Amino acid sequence: MEQDAQLVQRCLQGDGSAWEELVRRHSRRVYNVCYRFVGNRSEAEDISQEVFLRVYRTLGSYRSAHGGFATWMTSVTRNLLIDHYRRTKRDRITDSLDDAMPVVENKESVGRRPDEQALLGELSGQVQSALTRLSPELREAVILRDLQQLEYAEIQQVLEVPEGTVKSRINRGRIELARILQQMGVRPS
Amino acid sequence: MTWTCDQTEARLSDYLEGLLQAPERAEFEAHMHGCAECGPLVESVRSLITEMQSVEQVEVPPQLIHSILDKTIGPREHVTFWQSLKNFLGGLATPKFAYGFASVTATLFIVLSAAGLSWRKPKLTDLNPSTMSRNITRQAHLSYAHAVKYVSDLRVVYEIQSRLRQDNQLQNLPEETTPKSNQENKPGNDDHTRSQPKQQNRADEFLARQVEMLAAECPVMIERSFR
Repeated sequence: MEQDAQLVQRCLQGDGSAWEELVRRHSRRVYNVCYRFVGNRSEAEDISQEVFLRVYRTLGSYRSAHGGFATWMTSVTRNLLIDHYRRTKRDRITDSLDDAMPVVENKESVGRRPDEQALLGELSGQVQSALTRLSPELREAVILRDLQQLEYAEIQQVLEVPEGTVKSRINRGRIELARILQQMGVRPS
Repeated sequence: MTWTCDQTEARLSDYLEGLLQAPERAEFEAHMHGCAECGPLVESVRSLITEMQSVEQVEVPPQLIHSILDKTIGPREHVTFWQSLKNFLGGLATPKFAYGFASVTATLFIVLSAAGLSWRKPKLTDLNPSTMSRNITRQAHLSYAHAVKYVSDLRVVYEIQSRLRQDNQLQNLPEETTPKSNQENKPGNDDHTRSQPKQQNRADEFLARQVEMLAAECPVMIERSFR
């Protein structure tokens, strides 16, 4: 299989098939990070599309010497997710007020379409719901480590923070997530 | 020293990932077993990690890829049936496919020929599995018989060659084995001139006997060789 760096070179020379191959190869990872972060299918699609558009425009700035293409793409994804988080902050403040209400499970089951519920697959709806309530710093760290199973060094590259901070965020994120689930009256299976 | 809840929480992931040294792990476990809050929390985080790490990735909606490609390299051309057929046939015109096709054709030709299919007047009945099986068995027996006969003929030829060689050696043996120095020492001695016709006669008789023996063993072969 051709290396990502070679495909990037071909893309820069105007080879459309190389770009198509890159999109097919990385769309799953990008879409999953977005989906777990925002917890919503259509938003995840929009952000994933935005990620690829940005990558296409800035492909010339990618340097293979600075790390793998997948890590670079995850960095772009993460930056756009944070941008998206800031843009929609006002909506979430309203959401968090709603979350303070005692009936949490009903909100979750009402707010999600049946196909989205099925798409959650193995990960229970409550865990996905609890994940979206974490602060973005903790959420992204937990998603990259536990759902994308990246190494600490890769996460460090994506988040551009020291390894100690990465470990601390992952640890706090996990504990916070477990507490949210306890508050929801849910214990992970 | 006994760890506090804050210390235990701060090292929780390190403990679950097996990154604590033995003394730290002992302190951690001592606190975990004694604390009503930290014990369940550790178990809760442990099962949460297990659940998240075993989750499968969700499938990408197909329209997402098409949409990305349309917005980056432009909308793809609509491909008609004839264009796709032409592309398919164009893809077949490669040396790799040609070699593969040739080898498959050759194999089929050999197998069908062995199965008794007549290429000049092909009949549908020749493709009947029972007919093919019978023909293949017949061809196999014929091939085996030809091979046996060929090996037998070869054996006879080698036999003749080896016996003729032996005969030549017998003819040459007395001359070579007779020491020349003796003849030189006795220049007047003419015994060898008298013994030569006797040796020639013996060799002729020996050769005749061998040929008779071979003729008795394999009359057909001799007849064919004379022809």
